[in-house]
Amino acid sequence: MRLVLTVNGARREVDPPPAAPLLSVLRDDLGLTGTRFGCGSGQCGACYVIVDGRAVASCLMPVRQTADREITTIEGLANGETLHPVQEAFIAEDAMQCGYCTSGMIISAAALLARDAAPDEAAIRDALAGNLCRCGVYGRAIRAVQRAAGTMAVAVGSPPAMHR
Amino acid sequence: MKLEERIRIEPDGSVTAFSGKIEFGQGIRTAFAQLVANELDVPVERVRVVLGDTAQVPFDFGTFGSNSVAQEAPALRLAAAFARRSLIRRASAHLGLPAARLDTRGGTIGDGDGKRVSYADLVRDAPLTGAVPDNEPLLPPERWGSIGKPLSRVEARDIVTGRARYSADVRPARLARGAIARPPARGGRATRVDDQAARAMPGVIAVVHDGDIVGVVAEREEQARAAADALEIDWEMPKSEPSETQVVAMREDAGTDAALASAALTRSATYTLPSIASASIGPSAAVVDVRPDGATVYAGTHRPFGLRDAVAGSVGLPKESVRVMPQMSSGTYGRSSAPDVSVEAAVLSKHARRPVLVQWSRAEEFAYSPSRPEAVLEVTAGLDASGNMVAWRYDEHTNVHTAAGPDPRVAAMTSGRNAVPPYTIPSARVVLFVEPTPLRTANFRSLAAAENVFAIESFVDELAHASQQDPLAFRLRHSGDPRLRRVMERVADVSGYGKKLPARRGHGFACTLYHGTYVAQVAEVEVAASGAVRVLRVWCVVDPGLVINPDGVRNQVEGGIQQSASWTLLEELRHKNGRVATTSWDTYPIATFRDAPESIAVLVEGDSGAPSTGVGEPGAVPTPAAIANAVFAACGARVRDVPLTPQRVRKAAQPVA
Ligand code: FES
Ligand code: FES
Repeated sequence: MRLVLTVNGARREVDPPPAAPLLSVLRDDLGLTGTRFGCGSGQCGACYVIVDGRAVASCLMPVRQTADREITTIEGLANGETLHPVQEAFIAEDAMQCGYCTSGMIISAAALLARDAAPDEAAIRDALAGNLCRCGVYGRAIRAVQRAAGTMAVAVGSPPAMHR
Repeated sequence: MKLEERIRIEPDGSVTAFSGKIEFGQGIRTAFAQLVANELDVPVERVRVVLGDTAQVPFDFGTFGSNSVAQEAPALRLAAAFARRSLIRRASAHLGLPAARLDTRGGTIGDGDGKRVSYADLVRDAPLTGAVPDNEPLLPPERWGSIGKPLSRVEARDIVTGRARYSADVRPARLARGAIARPPARGGRATRVDDQAARAMPGVIAVVHDGDIVGVVAEREEQARAAADALEIDWEMPKSEPSETQVVAMREDAGTDAALASAALTRSATYTLPSIASASIGPSAAVVDVRPDGATVYAGTHRPFGLRDAVAGSVGLPKESVRVMPQMSSGTYGRSSAPDVSVEAAVLSKHARRPVLVQWSRAEEFAYSPSRPEAVLEVTAGLDASGNMVAWRYDEHTNVHTAAGPDPRVAAMTSGRNAVPPYTIPSARVVLFVEPTPLRTANFRSLAAAENVFAIESFVDELAHASQQDPLAFRLRHSGDPRLRRVMERVADVSGYGKKLPARRGHGFACTLYHGTYVAQVAEVEVAASGAVRVLRVWCVVDPGLVINPDGVRNQVEGGIQQSASWTLLEELRHKNGRVATTSWDTYPIATFRDAPESIAVLVEGDSGAPSTGVGEPGAVPTPAAIANAVFAACGARVRDVPLTPQRVRKAAQPVA
């Protein structure tokens, strides 16, 4: 089935089987392997991508439903060599071990901060609750999201989120 | 040890180091780069570390037991130090200056601010070679540039941008996808395979029935799975052969029974832990390309050389013709000691004559991965009239804890790990019974230590309360090891252990000496009226000897505590007739962001005069007992069965007067 997707700002033509989930098209047809397979049933967060501003499980989303929508994957968050503040913050807090869950966590965090510039800790936990991490970096990831909120607030000229 | 097997100075002056150890997110690539950079006096960015590529690295038995840094650090440091001395010798000839006047700086050698020569120039004509002396002098601490400095992981940027490549992300030309048809339970063999329908399905390249493996190779993953489901297979289930119980005496002091009989106070208790899953977030995956003259294996593995031999055997190739190139791997915490997924991909690739990626489904990962076996720990101890432990009896019942299967020579170190308490007790008898259990078992983080330390540290807490002693003071009076005493006292200090807490909250203490690493923890929990336990805070003091990357150690220990808290409160792999019943995150929940403690404070206080010891496992070891002891402190419920479910906590709770 021929489709045109908008992935990371670029139009990409694909021809997957009609029932294919977005995840397998990203990984197998477009070579965007930064989005990971974890469970295939919406329970782990490893495959999250941003579709029209919301973090969604690409393993559950049929690709044919994504044709007219803006898809952002982990590969599309940075601006060239300039990392997204959430990516910078994950490095600064060393909020990763094996890193397998990291793409999905960063996607959830970026989607959260795009709709709520100053989330409190409970909001961060809720927004990332779908992202499982077996290595146990939850505490560091929460600090990373708080740090990213702070730098993003400074960048737009308002006081850092934590001082409000 | 030959220098050229360990360190190479590249034509551009950068340094490549080689090790058979594997990175699983425990930060060894970074720690090794730091060590080599330090000894060779170059910036860390100039060091590349090759791990586990069987065509490039010296033979290595495997990455286990948090021993990577302990084993490899000395070897890499010696090699790097020898390389530095060899470079100075060459520089001396090159510059016409006595070696004693020369020094290294940022990849160059010279005499102060005078003439300098780069490492690159010194290896232009001939690479460095030679036998590394065992007594090669190392750089003195005052000259250290990289050791002991926190450094973020060298892979960090690739991970956060999605560029990091895991086994399932390897995409060689002509890659095909494989799926395996599974028997209804472990050990089933296909006696008849009807593949007529499957062969006609879209995308199918080959249907394979070779030995124990039945599977399909197709152009796309969905096609391979659909065709594997369409195979009609008759399975023959193995006759269960009753395997024998192995009995291993781990400590046997004469007179233990007599000492127990004459003790002023005796107590007994039985603790149980269920089977648990390694529950890797990324299911097992491997890409294997089998050609007539050899094979290449891209996989996560703890044992690259063992995997090479297993794959070679499965496809009938000489082992020298198989190259294992370890890829980044989702954390597996020991589980990938088993070569299963790579062997499957190899057999499929051989028949399809294409490189094949096999990635297990989530359900396959739960159902067919080896797991940590259940354990039953029975303990009895006697105290004298002044509250000293005088006798200790401990029976450990569990199954094999390694992928290699039962082996009486290693049972005490594996299934019996940490069964002997680290306390001074005059008479003790500790016996391990290795008994068959229904599920396939294998290596898992800390092997049996987490189970044994749960029982021992819970029981020590019970003994202290039974004899009206403070649990910390009770431990200290039975410990003569100054490093163990120091971590205990420090964690009590930083956590405020013993101070009064609000109602339904409690502090629990536990400690361990695990493979040379000292760990003491205090957990603070809150127990709801429902019996639900929430871990609010954990404090941990760890002494792993000489510390190379303090933040790397902290990260590992924090993660170990977080994972162990999940085991303790949530996890149980249920099974029936040898089949795993909990095959999704729904039925096998693990801790999420909502369960994470408010803080996990890890203080890394290594004794820098002691050799580096592992940190990947020990952080997880005391946590179950620290939590259980905290639950007792909070509400008087002594729960001896893991996981500490709300029902169990409610049932064990004494009505508080
Ligand atoms: S792979 Fe999509 S949520 Fe797990
Ligand atoms: S870092 Fe390994 S699963 Fe999260």
